[in-house]
Amino acid sequence: MSERHSANGQEHVRTNGHPGESRGALAKERLRSALKGALRPPENDSAFLLHPHRRDVPGRERMRRYRTDEAVDMLIVGAGAGGCTLAQRLARRGWKVLVIEAGPFWNPDEDWVSDEAGSHPLYWTEERVIGGEDPVELGKNNSGRGVGGSMNHFAGFTPRFHRSDFEVRSRDGVAADWPIGYEHLRPHYERLERELPVAGEWWPWGDPHGYPHGPHPVAGGALRVWEGARLLGIEMRVGPVAIANGSFGNRPHCIYRGFCLQGCKVGAKASPLVSHIPDALAHGVEVRADCMVTRIETDEAGRCTGVTYFHDGRESFQAAEAVAVAGYSIETPRLLLHSTSRRFPGGLGNENDLVGRGIMVQGAPQVAGRFPQELRMYKAPPPEISSEHFYETDPARGFLRGFSIQTVSPLPIGWAEHVLADGHWGQALREYMRDYNHWYAIGCLSELLPRAENRVTLADATDRHGMPVARLDYTQCDNDRANIAYAKKTLHEIFAAAEAQDVLTIDRYAHLVGGCRMAERQEEGVVDSDHRVWGVPNLFVCDGSVMPTQSAANPALTIMALASRFAERLGQKRGVS
Amino acid sequence: MAESRRASTAGHLPKQGGDTTPGPPPELPRQRRGTTPQMRGRYPDYDVLAEADHWDAVTRRMVLERIAEVPPVRFFSEPEARTLRAFCDVVTGQDLDPRIPVLEMVDAKLHAGRLDGFRHHDMPPDPETWREVAANLDRSACERGCEQGFAAAGSETQHEIVQRFSTGELDWTLPVSKAWGVVMRAALSAFYSHPWAWSEIGFGGPAYPRGYARLGAGQREVWEAPPEFSADPVADVHEQGLE
Repeated sequence: MSERHSANGQEHVRTNGHPGESRGALAKERLRSALKGALRPPENDSAFLLHPHRRDVPGRERMRRYRTDEAVDMLIVGAGAGGCTLAQRLARRGWKVLVIEAGPFWNPDEDWVSDEAGSHPLYWTEERVIGGEDPVELGKNNSGRGVGGSMNHFAGFTPRFHRSDFEVRSRDGVAADWPIGYEHLRPHYERLERELPVAGEWWPWGDPHGYPHGPHPVAGGALRVWEGARLLGIEMRVGPVAIANGSFGNRPHCIYRGFCLQGCKVGAKASPLVSHIPDALAHGVEVRADCMVTRIETDEAGRCTGVTYFHDGRESFQAAEAVAVAGYSIETPRLLLHSTSRRFPGGLGNENDLVGRGIMVQGAPQVAGRFPQELRMYKAPPPEISSEHFYETDPARGFLRGFSIQTVSPLPIGWAEHVLADGHWGQALREYMRDYNHWYAIGCLSELLPRAENRVTLADATDRHGMPVARLDYTQCDNDRANIAYAKKTLHEIFAAAEAQDVLTIDRYAHLVGGCRMAERQEEGVVDSDHRVWGVPNLFVCDGSVMPTQSAANPALTIMALASRFAERLGQKRGVS
Repeated sequence: MAESRRASTAGHLPKQGGDTTPGPPPELPRQRRGTTPQMRGRYPDYDVLAEADHWDAVTRRMVLERIAEVPPVRFFSEPEARTLRAFCDVVTGQDLDPRIPVLEMVDAKLHAGRLDGFRHHDMPPDPETWREVAANLDRSACERGCEQGFAAAGSETQHEIVQRFSTGELDWTLPVSKAWGVVMRAALSAFYSHPWAWSEIGFGGPAYPRGYARLGAGQREVWEAPPEFSADPVADVHEQGLE
């Protein structure tokens, strides 16, 4: 791959991309992966700053506090995968960083429970409106709230994107190319995989690579699925999951309790709350939780001056030299659209009516199979094994792009939703529920294409701060439907090969990205390749909303890698004491 | 043995020819330990609450609150509660006491203003949807000759209305399939957050800080119990007052 990034020419990009091109690179990669957890991650002490027995983030009481009239170097809106990674990186480079987060600063010991229904505070549950022909349900499936963001309750899968994901327009003639390529993110992927840390087998797909922690043990249900896939010639691998296998610093090892989607009380699964916030606080970052930013303020010259936010119903203004919005694909467009002024009547970065457009989700049907043995799928983390066998475009399948296959293992409420979706209620539902321990479930992530009509707009309804709530309209295209149908058929074939006695199917979506697309030209996107909002020189977007395409991979690792690269692009502010 | 035969053939499952008529399914054991809804279940000797000492304190407090007392109805009016209680019984297959108080749990959630984070553009907010569903259930019952409303209708009428509700075949004042999604999401979330339901289905329940050690197919922790697929051989214990 060639260097496509031209700005400043500072970015170091390796060009020895393809595995066949350089045996040396592959050998080095294998050596790196053979060292497993022996190497401490560079420039991130989070795992070592944590208390060995308490899960509350240390250093909160001594956290640096900025006055509201003190213009911080970078004000970050949102403490999720993008915002926390950016904060930690910039603080290490001498920036004065303030993160403002709408939700709480979680203490997993006190605030989180080992329980499905009790985990609702982890989601964004305030009103949002959905529409379109294929509406996307929000809430617990794809939103987060509080420090750590939705990674607090993500399953834990952390695959990298493939090279092709950055070149969809060039390769397949649809969607868009990214203004950056895989090689720009690769060093950040490698570094983050050590920081989280990621555990899994040697990964044969995309850019082949190993992981710093070895694969976790696999439970009985996943082994049945694996056998079915093997009979069909579909390769599967253990991981990759952001769950420490063995202790990692003061973070304990996984206890296989299965509540990954309810927030990891153990601290074994990574979220920025444990992987980046401790180091960020130690380097002078302030995290101002329970504060809802409602406007980004700008001056007559068109530069942003800070943000307006609400805390306990009281409005405040925080000054800043620069602002990075990291509110994810719904809240980031909502905030930009709502920050209107005489100079920006349609909101910030929206001169070409692109803010909020091109939102993507992944088609994520799940199929469950029934087996004679008790599989008790509530044990072990839901993310166990996965496959990228169908990841790339294959013209023979009749659609462009592809999908991945992953294990999901719902807990009882999730299982009830699965049974209901297959058309059962009353006694029939109860009977399938009583059979829970004999079932195992897998799901797909189908790459759906970006469409301008799929967008976030401001609804008429307002929230308790008087800010219009977001409306998300979503409609699939024919390629999307064909991809999902093929993926679902494949799941059924795997269970048939595994000799499942009965199957139940649910159609659903997973993950959100896009809405503030990164592009080479202002007419095509909301931010440039350095995350700078076109038309506002000191405003940036640093979350999943900048992604021009979706990929068939889970987005968390790539959101973090983008933030890590963005921080590198911003560079050193001042010497660190 | 009957037990292994049923477990291995899956013939009890609705899509494999199992009985789905209302009322207790055949060959479903009576609960012998702890409490399950209707005192039946696949794990008659398993009581998840017996493990509560192994749960972390925060989780234990929250889960035990669900069985401590039935919350009073504060959001719904008395007529709405009557209709919706009958509806919740039908959709969760609860035909006998002890019942999981689904309607009361939903009422508590709505009373507290807890939402799920989205609303279809052509739907009212969830609390309003529940009220409209109550009114429409009564209207559908009335159209079928039951002027006292859904709660007073016969089991057959109730099941027919709910069946049509589930497939979106009713002419109601709001989008029927979306309304089904709203009410079922809340009802099932309430039912399967209740530890009695966990005992019924053999779910391990909260698992922190203990975790699991036996992950293989057919393996159990020492405190987990096997499923049972044969009913008590004495069929008339209930009638004879022997329970």
